Amino acid sequence: MSNLTLTANSSITSLPAVPEWRRIMNRFLGHRGLMIGSVILAVIILAALFAPWLAPHDPYVQNVSQRMIPPIWHDKGTWNHILGTDKLGRDYLSRLLYGARISLTIGISAAVISGLIGTTLGVLAGYFGGRVDAVISYIITTRLALPVVLVALAMASLVGGSLQTVIVLLGLLLWDRFAVVARSTTQQLRDAEFIASAKVLGASTPYILIRELLPNILSALIVVMTLEMAHAILLEAALSFLGIGVQPPSPSWGLMVAEGKSYMFFQPWVIAIPGVALMVLVLAINLVGDGLRDMNAPEGRS
Amino acid sequence: MLVFVTRRLLVALSVALTVSIVSFLLLHFSGDLATSIAGPDATAEQVEKIRVEFGLDQPIVEQYFHWLVSAVQLNFGRSYYFQDSVMSLISERLPITLTLGGLALGLAILVAIPLGVIAAIKQNTWIDRLALSFAVVGQAMPSFWFGLTLIIVFAVNLHWLPAGGNSSWQHFVLPAICLGYYAMPAMMRLTRTGMLEVLNSDYIRTARSKGLNESTVVLKHALRNAVIPVVALAAVELGFMLGGSVIVESVFSLRGLGQLAWDSISRNDYPVVQAVVLIIAVFYIALTFFADVLNALLDPRLRVR
Amino acid sequence: MKRILEVKNLQVDLPTANGTLRAVRGIDLHVNQGEMLCIVGESGCGKSMTSMALMGLLPKRAAITAEAMEFDGMDLLSLSKKERNQVRGMRMSMIFQEPMTSLNPSYTLGNQLCEGIIKHKGLSREKAKERAVYLLERAGVPYPEKRLNQYPHQLSGGLRQRVMIAMALMCEPDLIIADEPTTALDVTIQAQILRLIRELQQEFGTAVIFITHDLGVVARIADRVAVMYAGQVVETASAEALFANPLHPYTQGLLNCIPIPGKTKPGSHLASIPGVVPSLIGELKGCAFENRCSVSTSECRRRTPNLAIKPSSADHQVRCPEVSLSFQEAV
Repeated sequence: MSNLTLTANSSITSLPAVPEWRRIMNRFLGHRGLMIGSVILAVIILAALFAPWLAPHDPYVQNVSQRMIPPIWHDKGTWNHILGTDKLGRDYLSRLLYGARISLTIGISAAVISGLIGTTLGVLAGYFGGRVDAVISYIITTRLALPVVLVALAMASLVGGSLQTVIVLLGLLLWDRFAVVARSTTQQLRDAEFIASAKVLGASTPYILIRELLPNILSALIVVMTLEMAHAILLEAALSFLGIGVQPPSPSWGLMVAEGKSYMFFQPWVIAIPGVALMVLVLAINLVGDGLRDMNAPEGRS
Repeated sequence: MLVFVTRRLLVALSVALTVSIVSFLLLHFSGDLATSIAGPDATAEQVEKIRVEFGLDQPIVEQYFHWLVSAVQLNFGRSYYFQDSVMSLISERLPITLTLGGLALGLAILVAIPLGVIAAIKQNTWIDRLALSFAVVGQAMPSFWFGLTLIIVFAVNLHWLPAGGNSSWQHFVLPAICLGYYAMPAMMRLTRTGMLEVLNSDYIRTARSKGLNESTVVLKHALRNAVIPVVALAAVELGFMLGGSVIVESVFSLRGLGQLAWDSISRNDYPVVQAVVLIIAVFYIALTFFADVLNALLDPRLRVR
Repeated sequence: MKRILEVKNLQVDLPTANGTLRAVRGIDLHVNQGEMLCIVGESGCGKSMTSMALMGLLPKRAAITAEAMEFDGMDLLSLSKKERNQVRGMRMSMIFQEPMTSLNPSYTLGNQLCEGIIKHKGLSREKAKERAVYLLERAGVPYPEKRLNQYPHQLSGGLRQRVMIAMALMCEPDLIIADEPTTALDVTIQAQILRLIRELQQEFGTAVIFITHDLGVVARIADRVAVMYAGQVVETASAEALFANPLHPYTQGLLNCIPIPGKTKPGSHLASIPGVVPSLIGELKGCAFENRCSVSTSECRRRTPNLAIKPSSADHQVRCPEVSLSFQEAV
């Protein structure tokens, strides 16, 4: 017996003793997609936060004499307007920076609202099962059958498009994936021992759900959060592009594409710049989401 | 199998019914339809007149049942704008959207499945990374912007294809690419992960131990099993694409169902909007139903039950 | 007797995140025509790796080297992909541990039984089916004709393993590798399958490499035995000699672990070998069993032992410095 413990100990010490945070850090640094995504996302968030200081001009001030100046890499570009100006003479870079605020605000707010709705429904369905599960699953199925873009368009048109409308609408429409994931992860954990022991200790159901269960399904929900953020940002851009989302003169990136549409044949950069900005932002969020999912996945630990 | 189909059919029907209620209520509680129809300059009497004319003064439950009973008989009332029956408008536009959706789905499948298979076989090589990047970019690209970019490149600069309209098959190429690229990433990733999982399975090892050619192992033994979930996803994606066709159709001025819905939304033509929402939802429900049945047919373990 | 398989100094290295895993570190094996060789060892000792290397089923990242790996005079390592496919499946076949997952759920049993022989021997579908029915019957599968159109999930685990056995025999191979074919089965069915493999092996004159961790199984069916430990063969002998006169301390330890009816008292603790297997990542210095051995000396830690031949019987070889010392004294 003593022999066994001895060798067991020595085999453990032979492995490098790495603290938990260092291991997480190493995996974070080792995941190229996650690294690239987080760096880009951090840059965009900082740019949005510090837009008032970074923007060279007021994004709303029109200047008819300075219309449609091309960006710096064109022959006629000027350093005064690095990314050029739009059809009303507004500085494109400044609008782009302020536009990041709109995209991020909508992405985060809509994902938080839908996350609250979806997680609540999913956890209840997964934890209680039976009839509660049947009803909630039915609600999820019904929600999935509703065409999101059409319903959002129709309702935004009736209510009147604005930043708040878009946030609430998308928040109310995009909770399905949260519900599905929260439900299945809760089902897996429902009979886990730590839940059972909390029950035996006489913890109330809300306590068990919020203090015991939620922290354990959080990592899966954060991954969904990134996906839905990206989804909401793209939908906002589409709604604004169609004229029913965020209203002018707000510098929403979708709206910038719409406003540039009539100039795009001769000045393609007008739609290229906001479009690429949208794509890069969504790409960064998706890379972060994929990376977090890989880090959560058990096979990623080996 | 019969029990399974019947049960799924009943669920599908009841979901369709619920969707009809939800879409009806959503539109009715989002604002006063009579005011919207009459327009901003209308007087109070004009609004009242419209309210009575379209039956909007009736209790909401009565309005719904009236609408539902007609809708089941494929009568969606008359369009406010066109003064034509909604059904004839829809039957004129639906084939265009279905063509677009079908082409886009076909394209997505043709690209996604081979790409997913190759990426899985060549896991962690540059081919795999290229395929994954292609998918990641597709997921991040706003479809309206991608559509405009396609127009600039292929219609305006290269003159290869028309920019908009729907008078010939060429008009469907760019919209189908645009919509198909939107559906492709999810299918490609599912094919790839499915293939990776299957290729590591015991029965693939058995197939290899029989000395079969690598192509037989991959195409016969692995693909068949990996592709089963992709079939279900493809059906769901087609449903999403019909719903998302609004954006692509408006970019390419394709006169399909999506554009009809979009125009009707801007004209406050609610009988049309309601009908299109319901029809697309019913299509989605039908597609998921068929996907389930098809899944059961493809997987012998489900078929026998 | 003709040697059907000859392996010399086989090594399998697998790259892992923590370094190269030397799963098989220099194995010498041979199998005679029509004989049953049992490879026995604990899990992780490299016995499955060896079988996969012989079949050519290891992933590409695994590095396989050997002084010789000859099957019926052919060098397996230098065969082209096509030739290798021809040998594998037609002249060598394999039975796996997990009957529940080793058959493709999407195809009928008939399809899976026949595809190999149709490819390798160009048989017609009808002829292939006839043979499949004959072998299913020989493998003790009831209603063999009906089975051809059934799917794997319609059969129990025991029946599926009988199908796998029939499948392995389809092309009349010279060698079958059975990798723990009874481990995943219920105890009552284990005995049946074991008997079946032994019967068919003798009837068809096929050589079998039977891989197991269970010495009880070895005692029932083996002609010869190779005991593996930490990626090496530590003792090999005829089954009789091994059970009558185990030489390596590890083999002796394994045999002590088996309860013997009448001898082991009820309620007494079963013997076990103390300690754990050393990590196979990187080089091992000295004897791999040294840390668990009851007779080890400081010499064992220093010198890596080679297989030594027992003077009285050339077939009995052992990898232990202490034992080989006693051989030298005997001479």
